[in-house]
Amino acid sequence: MKKLIALFRKRPSLQAWLLLLPSALWLFIFFIAPLFIVLIYSFLERGTYGGVEWHFTLENYRRTFDPLYFKTFLRSFYIAAVTTIVTLLIGYPLAYYIATRSPKRRGTLVLALMIPFWTNFLVRTYAWLTLLRKHTGLINVTLMSLGWIDKPLPLFGNDFAIIVGLVYGWLPDMVLPIYAALERLDRSLLEAAEDLYASGPNVFRRVIWPLSLPGVVAGSMLVFIPSLGAFVTPAILGGGKTLMIGNIISNQFLAAHDWPFGAALSFVMMAVMLVATLIYFRATSDEERRQL
Amino acid sequence: MSEINAVELRNVVKRFGHVVAVNGISLRIREGEFFSLLGPSGCGKTTTLRMIAGLELPTSGSVMIYGEEQGYLPPYQRPVNTVFQNYALFPHMTVAQNVAFGMEMKKVPKEEIKRRVAEALELVRLTGKENRRPKQLSGGQKQRVALARALVNRPKVLLLDEPLGALDLKLRKAMQSELKALQERVGITFIYVTHDQEEALVMSDRIAVMNEGDVLQVGTPEEIYEMPQSRFVADFIGKTNFLDGEVVEVGERAKVKIADGVVVEASVPEGKTFSRGERAVVSIRPEKVYITPEGELPAAEGAEAFSHVPAKLAKFFYVGAERRYVALVGDTEVVVQVQNVDRSARRCQVGDNVTLHWRGDQARLLKE
Repeated sequence: MKKLIALFRKRPSLQAWLLLLPSALWLFIFFIAPLFIVLIYSFLERGTYGGVEWHFTLENYRRTFDPLYFKTFLRSFYIAAVTTIVTLLIGYPLAYYIATRSPKRRGTLVLALMIPFWTNFLVRTYAWLTLLRKHTGLINVTLMSLGWIDKPLPLFGNDFAIIVGLVYGWLPDMVLPIYAALERLDRSLLEAAEDLYASGPNVFRRVIWPLSLPGVVAGSMLVFIPSLGAFVTPAILGGGKTLMIGNIISNQFLAAHDWPFGAALSFVMMAVMLVATLIYFRATSDEERRQL
Repeated sequence: MSEINAVELRNVVKRFGHVVAVNGISLRIREGEFFSLLGPSGCGKTTTLRMIAGLELPTSGSVMIYGEEQGYLPPYQRPVNTVFQNYALFPHMTVAQNVAFGMEMKKVPKEEIKRRVAEALELVRLTGKENRRPKQLSGGQKQRVALARALVNRPKVLLLDEPLGALDLKLRKAMQSELKALQERVGITFIYVTHDQEEALVMSDRIAVMNEGDVLQVGTPEEIYEMPQSRFVADFIGKTNFLDGEVVEVGERAKVKIADGVVVEASVPEGKTFSRGERAVVSIRPEKVYITPEGELPAAEGAEAFSHVPAKLAKFFYVGAERRYVALVGDTEVVVQVQNVDRSARRCQVGDNVTLHWRGDQARLLKE
């Protein structure tokens, strides 16, 4: 025992490795290994009823650039980008509002923001379905019965419905990092800017925005990446017509039984997300991150 | 000193809910003056400064800068700049960008900004640190960036909110004289908020002593120290001894009975009246009291005409440059501070009966 203590005292890094061991094992068995299997599958031929044939091929990757799938990629990208921008436009003012309340009120408001998300995601998405549906949806029914519109608005089964669902689903992930950045913001900096002849818009542009940027970038990543890979929301609110890349991938595994192609699509999507993440680290330079 | 008023406050009141922060004060701060607002925390000095800056609006009353009513003008439209207590430097900007900020907002031409930033940094001796970030600076350097950032805009009045509060004692002393010299060089009116009475005495042309939202006295450091008008001012500025007594004779120089058979003289502050038989307080500074063995006279000119008070020496402290005695007059402690050259004081031992002496015009008669 004494020897063991002495060993640890002499080599403190040993302690760190020991502490890391459980999580490293977990990550390896349940994350790295499956990912590796998916990677291998993406280079194999499909089996007839799912599964794979052990023949090496690049065909799966070639197929991902088929215009049919490539268009879906672009679409997913577009939907995720619009979702991110809309979430930012709604989330930033909300985060700013919460961050400028009294500390006690802030806690309450953050809680209020989180409460809806304690409900199951599927249930919430179906709730949107009942709101947006074309003929029986609550919004269209209400507007029609009030006589404000003659025919139902196209609220469902299109990009609009998907974006609404995604914005709703990921809003807290945008608000929280921005809120965290704004909450840390020293109020006296705003006073100093005003004292140095900056009017409201200039205070925002030159002080508040740049200092909250790491929060904005983090929030945007947290919204963009899951939106890009979304498949539940488009499946329910897209009405089966408007599909995203996530739906195609799940179809390959569950319906088409083409596992290798699904695996290849997954890896291409991961590559896209990796690029997005790299952009994030670029945008918040080392210096900025150290500062905050 | 110029007779133009740089800043004038008229009956300014500031309430936060039910709390009265500033209770109807009026002040005139002259052009080119180093003016301090001095008081304990919560006395309303910072609120007063913030109302001049426009960071707070008065509940009632008027704030004028060079005769112009400021009313609801936002801070960015007032001809003043502020040095904040915690510096409030923009962390995402370099030193040069911080200093340039105000001029950029005022759309000063780029070339001129560059030149003036360089000048301002030279003024505060920070040339060469242009591209540092605030994080990379020491407290004193941050302080100087904050100064340069405000001064570079050539404000009509510079407002300073306890700018040295975050610095350690030694650096604070150095910055005090530096600030004072800087103010004389640039000739801008400084309004300086501090709770440090020594700092205010050393730096200011005039001081306003504040307490609980009121201005108690305005005057030069010497007037404030030598001729306090109230017990609070006498107590807050420097050290002093208070002796309770009964006024037995009024006039410019009053006579006060502080114990049976012991009557001392004290000067009466201008504008204050006392009546015979009134309870009052005599304030006398420790360095103005002489101590001798019982019944002797101190070696000072006109010592016969001094007030003489019998006392018992209770404590003695050797402080190097000076000697500090604590004597009991009745049961009131009186601190006596003498230069370490005074011979008659040296002959007094703890436990001895002694006599304390002071010039009547150096004691102050104050309301209880």
